[in-house]
Amino acid sequence: MSRITIPIGPQHPALKEPLSFLLTVEGERIVESALRIGYVHRGLERIFQNRSYVQNVHVVERICGICSHAHTTTYCQGVEALLGLHIPPRALYLRTLLCELERIHSHLLWLGVLAEHVGFTTIFMYAWRDREIVLDIMEKLSGGRVAHAVNVIGGVRIDVDQEQVRLILARLDELERQIESFLGVIQHERTFRARTRAVGYLSIEQVRSHCVVGPVARASGVDIDLRRDAPYAAYGQLDFRVITAEEGDVWARTMVRALETIESVCMCRQLLAGLPDGPLAVRAPRRVPPSEAVSRCEAPRGELIYYIRSDGSDRPARVKVRTPTLTTLATLPDQLRGVNTADVPTVLSGVDLCIACADR
Amino acid sequence: MNIELMLESLRETSPTEALEPQAVPIDETFVTLPPDCIHAAVQVLVECFDLRHLSAITGEDTGDEIVLLYHFWDRHGLTLRTPLPRQNARITTLTDLIPGAAFYEREVSEMLGVAFDGHPNPRTLVLPDDWAGEPPLLRPEKRQ
Repeated sequence: MSRITIPIGPQHPALKEPLSFLLTVEGERIVESALRIGYVHRGLERIFQNRSYVQNVHVVERICGICSHAHTTTYCQGVEALLGLHIPPRALYLRTLLCELERIHSHLLWLGVLAEHVGFTTIFMYAWRDREIVLDIMEKLSGGRVAHAVNVIGGVRIDVDQEQVRLILARLDELERQIESFLGVIQHERTFRARTRAVGYLSIEQVRSHCVVGPVARASGVDIDLRRDAPYAAYGQLDFRVITAEEGDVWARTMVRALETIESVCMCRQLLAGLPDGPLAVRAPRRVPPSEAVSRCEAPRGELIYYIRSDGSDRPARVKVRTPTLTTLATLPDQLRGVNTADVPTVLSGVDLCIACADR
Repeated sequence: MNIELMLESLRETSPTEALEPQAVPIDETFVTLPPDCIHAAVQVLVECFDLRHLSAITGEDTGDEIVLLYHFWDRHGLTLRTPLPRQNARITTLTDLIPGAAFYEREVSEMLGVAFDGHPNPRTLVLPDDWAGEPPLLRPEKRQ
């Protein structure tokens, strides 16, 4: 059978963000694929060098429109380490609370996108409706739905009172019931399983050789999670399970993320119940003494790493960002090989790409 | 991750260097190696210690030289640092040991003009195909 090469993207209906593919097909089967990113590259690593540490908190928040809080947490954590600051426990708890709420928001958003791509519009509608619950909670806490501006160098700028805690707990119960109903659909619905089982398969070896992180790695049986393996913020005080699966396909990724969302709801309850009293932030000097630090966090898509070097001025000499999507992107040619063209959107959405994060 | 054992093995790959870990904030060990020892050192880490998770490669133009940092992680961070000359900066690729290094190396290559010998696909990653300017992360005041 003759081979045909089809360009897809950078603008295409499968993803809302620009990414370009060159797919070589034999009939309906993909035999080879090459990808191209960089369409939303904004030169942020250069911009960081021209802004003060405080201004950069707002720049890193805008790397991504979904995991914005994970970026500021990783960045602030790195700068705080360079300054040798001890962050008050209440601030760490509130920081962690936002991290977990953001994970719930990210996973529900992703579930909606995947459901739409496999033709399951009902779940898309329900997942995005219920995502509003967590967006409402975050708006109540911080004033922003996706850009929260909660982290400052030295702590957080928000507080919660008892009335808010009561409201949040009630809404979390509502959310948990919904996620459990989604879980039932993912596990038992025949059409959903037919569209996602054995699609986008990655073996444990492929995951490890490409240094893949986050739910994609955990769905292939790699048991890594920085929240447990290198606890930061308040994660050391929380009791939670790290969810893994063995199947390594889009279905397993869906299960891992759905179960993780339920874990996150439980973690939010623990955080609100154990919220310590005390100040919300410590004062941070504007100038940072010469040093360097590597800061890592478990963002919704996996390990997010910042390298920050200071030179004694009020601006960083170098800030390097590696987002989790960059590692999963490299596995796409492997995942697409042998796949039917109709399953391309499922594979692409299955790994939960964030192109704005990968391009920076 | 047994850092002491790893350092002992790394010392064998570069016997001429005084290889001492450098203390930094946050749980991470920094070690400096000459550029021609990096591939052998990573081979030891991969084959003897199964340390295959390369989190990132940072490249930085300090003005005097180009510094590469290989950030590894396995329950603890280990960063290998190597200095390269600003003129004709080149180093052996790690893609034969860690395929996941391919994207990281392409990014360092286009941002700082470092050549990675043996890279299977050394095209630009995020810059436009017709980018004709200097590598954008080179310090402007020191551009040749």
